[in-house]
Amino acid sequence: MSTENQVAVEAETALREQGSRRMAGSTQAFLKLHAPFDKMAPEALQLFAEKAQLSFYPEGARIVTPESGPVRFFYLIESGKVQARQAGEVAVTEYSVLTLSPGESFPIGAVTAGRPSTNLYLALEDTFCYQLPAEDFLTLMATSREFNLFCTRYIASLLNQSRQQLQQQFAQRASEQQTLNSPLSGIGSRSPVTVSPDIPVRQALETMSAAGVGSLVIAGEDRKPVGVFTRSDLLDRVVLADLPQSAPISQAMSPAPFMLEEQATAYDAMLAMATHGIRHVLVTDAEGRLSGVVSERDLFALQRVGLRQIRQAIESAPDVESLRQSASDVRQLAFNMLAQGVGAGQLTQFISALNDALTKRILQLNLERHHFDGIEWAWLAFGSEGRDEQTFSTDQDNGIVFAVPEGQAADAIKERFLAFALEVNKDLDRCGFPLCKGNIMASNPQWCLTLEQWKEQFTQWIRMPQPEALLNASIFFDFRCLYGKAELAESMRRHLLAQTAANGLFLQAMARNALDVEPPLGKLRDFLTDLEPGHPGKIDLKKYGIRIFVDVARIYALAAGVHNTNSVQRLRIAAQRLSIREEEINAILEGLDFIQLLRLRHQYLEGEPGRQGDNLINPDDLNELDRRILKESFRQARKIQSRLKLDYQVH
Amino acid sequence: MVGGLKRLLGRGAAKGPAGLDAGVRATVEAWRASPAPSLDDAHFLTRYVLVDVATAGQGGDAVLAGIVGLGVRAGAILPGDAFACDFAGAESDPVAVDRNLAAFLTYADKAPLVTFHSPFVAGHLHKVYSERLGVDFQPRWIDLAWLLPSLFPEKAAKPVALDDWLEMLGIVGSAGGRRDTMTNALVLGRLFQMLLVRANDKDVTTAQQLVEESQAATRLRRTI
Repeated sequence: MSTENQVAVEAETALREQGSRRMAGSTQAFLKLHAPFDKMAPEALQLFAEKAQLSFYPEGARIVTPESGPVRFFYLIESGKVQARQAGEVAVTEYSVLTLSPGESFPIGAVTAGRPSTNLYLALEDTFCYQLPAEDFLTLMATSREFNLFCTRYIASLLNQSRQQLQQQFAQRASEQQTLNSPLSGIGSRSPVTVSPDIPVRQALETMSAAGVGSLVIAGEDRKPVGVFTRSDLLDRVVLADLPQSAPISQAMSPAPFMLEEQATAYDAMLAMATHGIRHVLVTDAEGRLSGVVSERDLFALQRVGLRQIRQAIESAPDVESLRQSASDVRQLAFNMLAQGVGAGQLTQFISALNDALTKRILQLNLERHHFDGIEWAWLAFGSEGRDEQTFSTDQDNGIVFAVPEGQAADAIKERFLAFALEVNKDLDRCGFPLCKGNIMASNPQWCLTLEQWKEQFTQWIRMPQPEALLNASIFFDFRCLYGKAELAESMRRHLLAQTAANGLFLQAMARNALDVEPPLGKLRDFLTDLEPGHPGKIDLKKYGIRIFVDVARIYALAAGVHNTNSVQRLRIAAQRLSIREEEINAILEGLDFIQLLRLRHQYLEGEPGRQGDNLINPDDLNELDRRILKESFRQARKIQSRLKLDYQVH
Repeated sequence: MVGGLKRLLGRGAAKGPAGLDAGVRATVEAWRASPAPSLDDAHFLTRYVLVDVATAGQGGDAVLAGIVGLGVRAGAILPGDAFACDFAGAESDPVAVDRNLAAFLTYADKAPLVTFHSPFVAGHLHKVYSERLGVDFQPRWIDLAWLLPSLFPEKAAKPVALDDWLEMLGIVGSAGGRRDTMTNALVLGRLFQMLLVRANDKDVTTAQQLVEESQAATRLRRTI
């Protein structure tokens, strides 16, 4: 090309660019009037303005339909009105019709996921829209923090809607019951009988008698509770303790009562009662002043299958047969809670708390025939039970740690524990906790060890992170003391954290192992459903979903010295210590919660009686919104894996 | 500024093709040799170019001060297909002015041109192209001023001012006051987008029909 021609071409290019810039200027002026664009950086607005075309849709035009295939544009209304309408027969969001106005955009979920919209978008009047091509939308998401946050929050609100919808499904199946989400400010006694700590016992008893109540709250002049006094205290702490009736009530009360703030829910109170084995929870205002008392009886009024009944039945069960019934009640109660809107994280913790009580009772019953006086020992829970993440069907993973008293032979003690454990394992199996296929049970001599042996075992796995060691680490490092001497477990934990914190290679090996399984997201299709041999068309939500989050949580917890075993707690605390942004960790936890909720629903609704519910779901059976959110949840799994990959330099 | 522009782009500025810069001449020749796109395709498949001009000076003395173009394809205004040139400030470089005029020919690429009140815009362009580049610039014009009453008779039966159309068709935020050339082209673009939808509804489905309808409306209404 001659120099003159070259100059001519350059002149045309320059004038085209000048034209584009001026048109973009007009678009930017509009963007600056609307959120989230008003907070976005000039470069991000420039990108939007240079790529977004302006289109017109006359009144009645169908802008986006579910039938028109994967969405190609992100639409921002410049003028006019657009109606979002649910397509199909089943409502998948809380709204069935929604009107969008200038400055509002759609369909964020679909364009993010690169899939068809679940809604029909219809121009209610003559409408102009800026249309940003999908690939430029994704670039903007990747480069603008504000825009990313805006879209993430929108998708999070979809997650919330889907959760509500799941709850509705359950609510329809469950009997009419008051919600466990009610705040404590509306439950129980609002004017509990209160006395000051220095009044004599006799006067306190007279007050109880006059008011016709079985318990008293002891509070100072500032109305801050310092103790409770119940009829059982009268027997144990007054009569049997020979305490004179002139003594101050503070000497007879149970000090440091359990308290919750008014905003806490009935569920929280229920969990506290199940966890701490208490019958009353004091309710306080934000300043810690007494405002009410909630008893098991109050909560029982909310529950058909009541916590109190189940707990009482468990604690007083004379034999394993009775416990079998209680195990089925736990399941029914958990189902009711699911129906009443308790989130997956809380629910799994709750199931764990009641299962703990059940296991403890089985241990107690067996301890009537096995005696370990003078020996310090503890029953350990591993895996999901160790993490407080049990679902409706969880097999047992347990072990024993013990300390050998001086002058005694370890082997002989071990034999006694093994015999005891075998009976416990069998009883647990009868109560609906199937025997572990991998034989991770206290009755296996490998997992019934002295404190030193456990520590040595941990050290070996950490020093030589072979595949089997890593697999074991993923089960055994999530341990929790369920019964017995908790200090033994704590000693194991301190040892573990000291070892892992000092061993980067081990954590890197764990990271590599955790990255072996990827979320089942397809390049062409939404989901990969042929990963499980023998189960075509299905996704294993545990293997390809929950486990990814759990594995990553474990690694970060070990790296950051987090003592907790629960994955949500691990991620939250580790995120704080490792300065991971809160919104990022929230989106990840939402993803985990959603997959767990789908899993619980599947186990309950589709599990056959007497058969262990599996974790396999067919994504085609989900409604559009659930599919979309499941995909987004898997994306969160991928995101957290990418972070792990970067942090541990795994390529 | 107007004086300088007038010397450059006003009456008597002609110098004919022989005196053109070699690059400008080559561009003009390439443009002449290029085939005009078919006008028989559906609107959706046709590239239209919205044009607006800026002028300096008053009445008959007004001279061209700038050209803005906006491509419309598949009914959408595309930011990547825009054009803007200013002649103000270029008075001292006549070759640059010629180059910009030639660049617009390449950009427009013989597409049908859309404007509001084409005699004004066409008049300015024709004069400048004829006098500076020796080009008899006769694009296929689509005149919104005449076509809008023809396709939206329920709104106005005869040509009315642009601001009246903006108000009647509910194009918000742009009506009233002075607009720069790009803003004006963008509101014309919105009018044209609405017009294309209406044209389809009335079975005016190709660019050719639209050009003919525009010419017919112009002739018909002028003879009334």
